[in-house]
Amino acid sequence: MLKKRIIFTLLYDNGHFVLSRNFRLQKVGTIDWLQKNYNFAHIAFYIDELVVLDVSRSQRDVNRFSETLKALTKGCFAPIAAGGGVRDLEHARTLLRSGADKVVVNSALFDDQRLVANLAQEFGQQCVVGSIDLKRNSDGVFGLYTKNGSEMKCESVSDLLEKIPSDCVGELYLNSINQDGTGRGFDLSVLNLCPAGLNLPIILAGGAGHGLHLLKGLCDKRVDAVATAHLFNFVGDGLKKARALVTEQEIQLAKWPPPNQVEENLRLTDGVKN
Amino acid sequence: MNKSQHVVIVDYGKGNIWSVLSALDFLGARAIVSSDPSVIVNAEALVLPGVGSFRSALQELQKTGLDEAIKEAVTIRNRKILGICLGFQLLGESSTEDGSCAGLGIIPAKIERFNSEELSGRKLPHIGFNEVFLPGESDFFDGFSGSADFYFVHSYRMLPGLFPGAKAICNYGVDFLSAYQNENVFGAQFHPEKSQTNGLKLLDNFLSA
Repeated sequence: MLKKRIIFTLLYDNGHFVLSRNFRLQKVGTIDWLQKNYNFAHIAFYIDELVVLDVSRSQRDVNRFSETLKALTKGCFAPIAAGGGVRDLEHARTLLRSGADKVVVNSALFDDQRLVANLAQEFGQQCVVGSIDLKRNSDGVFGLYTKNGSEMKCESVSDLLEKIPSDCVGELYLNSINQDGTGRGFDLSVLNLCPAGLNLPIILAGGAGHGLHLLKGLCDKRVDAVATAHLFNFVGDGLKKARALVTEQEIQLAKWPPPNQVEENLRLTDGVKN
Repeated sequence: MNKSQHVVIVDYGKGNIWSVLSALDFLGARAIVSSDPSVIVNAEALVLPGVGSFRSALQELQKTGLDEAIKEAVTIRNRKILGICLGFQLLGESSTEDGSCAGLGIIPAKIERFNSEELSGRKLPHIGFNEVFLPGESDFFDGFSGSADFYFVHSYRMLPGLFPGAKAICNYGVDFLSAYQNENVFGAQFHPEKSQTNGLKLLDNFLSA
């Protein structure tokens, strides 16, 4: 049967990875820092998927971001979705040629449905991840936001989906701005903003700070994958432990042999392994 | 064959080439990326990756003469090939994506979209790790016993059919062909380069076959 997924999200801002809290960014380090201090390649063996978003607030440098993507792919054998300000097909192609398997779009869902349709036609529907940032206002009403949470576009995911041509988006990534980076857990009520019987896989993001949060998200029938961008809470063996915790509760996650065993096996084969 | 062979990853502008290359590098293979038909024809082993729609991918292969180069390398020169995801489907006979379109015809299977009857409420695209049942006694599936999880991302599938070869089966409402080997022709509907250590093992098997 199809397994549920634990996704790790990396946020990138002009050469640095950042932590985000309610969409305010805090620099943490470069790709080298990530590899050296956190042995990211090893951590990557305990996730089902990686999302890398260029959330640069100033001018985006696609080529520099792509070089970072390429560096991440070295030693990461999990699927990668990348995005952030994707404006045209060539931008998407650059990401896909740099290690990304899927392209994440956000503003284009609201402002450029033609681009979304073109992406699906060129790379396939399965390649397009629609990222939606949701914020609950002081009166408790939700809004869908773009431009890093600054511009409200519509009130529900159902409203948005009516505007997008069918079969152009492969997955939805729902991120709660209110919960973002708080480590207080997901807001499952964002799921109520989706149409009943929605046929697209849903990734729930925003707020997970502990394995139990991931578990709670995955227990919801509507959720296919949970994502966390909380780097510090899941480094070391945090993700390994979170996987174990989730699996103990009989949530089906994918299994594969631990990396050291495979590295060992590969060394024993006739190939030359550096 | 051993890993000193030259593996050529076919570049026709559609693939997630970098991921495949980095996985083969990790395994110690000597892999290069090329879009030159003369390099493809002379390759010792080929990998045909692919993301995107069947029709636009096939048109790209035809436009650059890569379709004929691949067919010659595989069917006349007997070089091994691994098709991945869309690259696997391109080896098939025809697809119904974007209207009917003929494939390279190396695997006698038709590619169709999962239909709502067989899906019976399952979401489409089929995205994520799913359990694949692998047959014993083939180079490609060597060392796997029973089943293993691999990463899928697709909306079209091939059915196992009655043609010869070792067939790995996955179920998503319907049993579909998730990996295949018949002599020098290898294919995977899932992404071995994105299937963690299970995928690395499978790629290693392809290289060692």
